[in-house]
Amino acid sequence: MKEKLRQPKPYMNPYLAGILLGLVLLASFYLTGRGLGASGATRSVVIGAVTSITPEHAESSGYFSKYLGDNQMKTWLVLEIAGVIIGGFLSGAWAGRLKIRVEHSPGISKRKRIYMASLGGLLFGFGSQLGRGCTSGAALTGMSVMSMAGFVTMMAIFGTAFVLAYFFRKNWI
Amino acid sequence: MGPLVPLQNISNELNLLIAFVIGLGFGIALEQAGFSSSRKLAGMFYGYDATVLKVFFTAAMTAMLGLIFLNFVGLIDLDIVYVNEYYVYSAIVGGIIMGAGFIIGGFCPGTSFTAAAIGKIDAMWFILGSMIGIFIFGETFVFWKDLYMSGYQGAIKISDVIGIRDGYFALLLILVATLMFWVAEMAEKKFKREDITKEI
Amino acid sequence: MNTRVILSIILISFGSIAAILPKQKTSSVQLDADDLLREIRLETNLVSTDELADLLINLDPGLMLIDVRDSVAYSKYHLPGAINIPLNQLLDEKWMPYIDQVSKNNIFYSNGTTLSSEAWILTRQLGFKNNYVLYGGLNRWFETIIKPSQPGSMATSVEIDRFNKRKAASLYFTGSSGASDMNSAPALPPVPRKKKKRVAGGCS
Repeated sequence: MKEKLRQPKPYMNPYLAGILLGLVLLASFYLTGRGLGASGATRSVVIGAVTSITPEHAESSGYFSKYLGDNQMKTWLVLEIAGVIIGGFLSGAWAGRLKIRVEHSPGISKRKRIYMASLGGLLFGFGSQLGRGCTSGAALTGMSVMSMAGFVTMMAIFGTAFVLAYFFRKNWI
Repeated sequence: MGPLVPLQNISNELNLLIAFVIGLGFGIALEQAGFSSSRKLAGMFYGYDATVLKVFFTAAMTAMLGLIFLNFVGLIDLDIVYVNEYYVYSAIVGGIIMGAGFIIGGFCPGTSFTAAAIGKIDAMWFILGSMIGIFIFGETFVFWKDLYMSGYQGAIKISDVIGIRDGYFALLLILVATLMFWVAEMAEKKFKREDITKEI
Repeated sequence: MNTRVILSIILISFGSIAAILPKQKTSSVQLDADDLLREIRLETNLVSTDELADLLINLDPGLMLIDVRDSVAYSKYHLPGAINIPLNQLLDEKWMPYIDQVSKNNIFYSNGTTLSSEAWILTRQLGFKNNYVLYGGLNRWFETIIKPSQPGSMATSVEIDRFNKRKAASLYFTGSSGASDMNSAPALPPVPRKKKKRVAGGCS
């Protein structure tokens, strides 16, 4: 039996990847006047789900009602994230990095990693609504247009993560 | 003259198609950089992997310089380009909560989608968690509404707040970023974790 | 030389160039000569003295009179409620919110039509809307409203109506209520909010 050991390709040079990302961002500005984003797409999915189950609830909600439209899924961010998913898939496929697994430090179990990921997601989801953006929309895009909001949000995110890193080190190293 | 969609009255359908293509580029760049790995992302905070810093700042500087130069040659109208609106308290408190989510979950929304696309199950749980988090925010909005809406300062730019020109600020930021690149690579050598780096 | 060094050199070079570039205010809404000529010939930017009298008598809330003569002429006499932006100061930063806005209708006036037309061309070319010219200026204002000429014996009913209206307006403006406004400069109205085309963005 011939075993073909397929080594995944190495990651791109981070600076080069940064330039690529910056050019995508610039293209977005030039073409549409807006930058990238991600948390808004997740919100659209949530609202879409809520409206399909109980439409009146979404309308009466103080927060969700602001984002109601004819088609929840036909927003700029949702289409963009669809592209992100497919782009990520294509890149991973080309590089041989496609693999279904739970990525975790050997120091913790798979189950704990899943708990942590879910908890982190919950906090991030909540925080992204309160903070009016996430690292892509507020921090990255915000920095490139030199917005105060982007700068402050970015400092808060990375600052907090650095400070709390010590307490969660067992999960990673 | 850009931005094209608002100024050339481009149809919504075409705008959405552009969004998709931009997303493709975004996803490819993220995945190629290695952001589909939570251990690589978290490595930023433990020193063994400064990829986040390198990619993030390089991308922001590239786009920032690009905007300044395009504006100079008259190819883009910077008054129309979106500038994030600054609400003091929601930016700070939201950022703190997101920072906690980042170090616990190891992802941010954009990278979680990229990682989920290549099969990472923990990323999928992250996405699920974020949906629940958003839902909780919406349901409990009445408690946060005041905080959410307070401290509105408008869509202000840092260069306006400090009172220097955009170009000067860009140079300042580039100098800071370059310094950070050096510090980051020194940290990577000092806090080297071969065992992790060869796995991710 | 590794990537970091190359990249840093490139970024710092471009950054230095960016730092010395002059501040460019690109406006995508500026008009070119053809558009401008077309609007001039359509004369849609002109306001007659009769129309202005109506607006003033009815206390039209959207009205904003801008006297583009120098401050000496303004203090000697100005139309009720007018503010003074001398033509040579028209493009000063502090007057921008008044001339580049979409909530009020600015009517430029001067003694004749020359200065006010110049003000209009400058602002229209920059893409600003809601700016008009008082046709004939203060000279015509006096001829038609303050001291309207009596129509002759062959006058049509339209002309007679118009004369009567003007006579009534003249009383209104030269009566006690009109006189007090003439010498005091009104307080500058609150700066109007500018509405520019804005895109959605961020994570919304």
